[in-house]
Amino acid sequence: MLITRVVCNRATKPDNFWKRRRVFKLTAHYYGRKRNCYSIAIKYLHRALAYVRKSRQLKKRDAIELWQQRISAGCRELGSSYEVLVRGMARCQIALDKKTLANLAIWEPRTFSSH
Amino acid sequence: MSNSHLFLQSGFIRTPLQNGLGRYIPQLQRITLKFCKNQGGSRGVRDFIESDLMDFAKNNPGTVVYLKPRRHRSPCMVAEYLNGEREYLSCHEFSRDEVHKWLSYMCTRSGIPVMRFRKYQHTDYPSIQGVWNPFTHQAPEINLAQYPNDILSKPANQGPTATEQLIEIFKKTQIKDPIKPEH
Amino acid sequence: MSATKRVQQWATLSRMWYLFDAQWQDPFRSAQTLALYLTGQNKPIYHPLNDCGDHVVVINSKEVALRGDEWKKRVYFHHTGYPKGASWTLAWQLHEKDPTMVMRKAIFKAMASNLIRRTNMERLHIFPGSEIPEEIKGNISGQIRPVMPVPKRLTGYSKEEIDNFPKVFDYPNDYILR
Repeated sequence: MLITRVVCNRATKPDNFWKRRRVFKLTAHYYGRKRNCYSIAIKYLHRALAYVRKSRQLKKRDAIELWQQRISAGCRELGSSYEVLVRGMARCQIALDKKTLANLAIWEPRTFSSH
Repeated sequence: MSNSHLFLQSGFIRTPLQNGLGRYIPQLQRITLKFCKNQGGSRGVRDFIESDLMDFAKNNPGTVVYLKPRRHRSPCMVAEYLNGEREYLSCHEFSRDEVHKWLSYMCTRSGIPVMRFRKYQHTDYPSIQGVWNPFTHQAPEINLAQYPNDILSKPANQGPTATEQLIEIFKKTQIKDPIKPEH
Repeated sequence: MSATKRVQQWATLSRMWYLFDAQWQDPFRSAQTLALYLTGQNKPIYHPLNDCGDHVVVINSKEVALRGDEWKKRVYFHHTGYPKGASWTLAWQLHEKDPTMVMRKAIFKAMASNLIRRTNMERLHIFPGSEIPEEIKGNISGQIRPVMPVPKRLTGYSKEEIDNFPKVFDYPNDYILR
């Protein structure tokens, strides 16, 4: 009876297993001990999740930057500039966003040149 | 070691062989329902088999339905598709409606593995006017130009210089024909 | 992929060769433009991972013009890595040693600092004079306009043009007013 109790105390809690399993599922693609050792894995996972949170905004910012670069490249080729295009479109009340304009510059170049 | 199998695959949206453009071919070829005759976990599956399975088989003549009773094991369904993919689903403690729902889900799928879509739309003809290339907006004279070119050696959008403007003004002020009287 | 589509794809990703005449151009202003061509940012298909940079052939790099007294004031720093290995070279000294170096360094500095910078720099061909090797000259398919106008020298005007130039008054021959 006494021994059983000691063993029960020493055994890990059933919840602990599932908690760790949740973590290991997310670190399964890491290399080395940060994949299998909980105390190391949790550190790297926290860092990774922080990066994920940051990059949610960065992803959008990168996309906007890319569209701007593409549109300005298309404009420069036609002897105009990005600012001129944007202001002109605002004046003509054409509500096309950057993504659409960048797509037009690549896929439908003649429509883009008519802007 | 590659760990790419641990995550959801990503890809582009597609249909097998333009299915549904001319006629629709059901992609689900065979579905196997495995269940136990005694245990409670299979109760929903047994109810479904008793009441709805015949209707399902009649409505889907292109699909072969197998039933596999097996003792004291959890129920499941295995769907096999025309493209050779095989989908497994555990039906443990499913209700009759749930089994029906999942079965119709399997029936309407194309068999292409579930993946994260890079784009939510697809077209075989992305461009009507032709994709941009470096020659699209080029003036045709450029093709015959010799380099270095005199015209291209001047900056673009260059207005007349102050000297040129002065010369223009000077020319305007000149009396055109001083010999002939005005009237 | 059909043959037409394949050719369209080649056309889209084709690498152009541009000529740039550096005669009396500010290397730092023109580097801003040339860097766009070398990295591929002059194309709407640009993507940082897309290898779409063009070749740029710069001629007359010997004739670049720096602003003000920059030839005397601009200093290029180099360190060999060893102690006392630092050296500072004035722009005019560097230009005497290698007439392509001022232009090359200006363009290198104008490009974003990343791993493909040196790959893009490989597509830059600088020649101090106006002669281009035949194998490069055959490739050239476009010209980049200069960033600033090249003024005409007095020797470039003909006698007739000089005589007909509007004047407020005539200078005496020895330029002394009596």
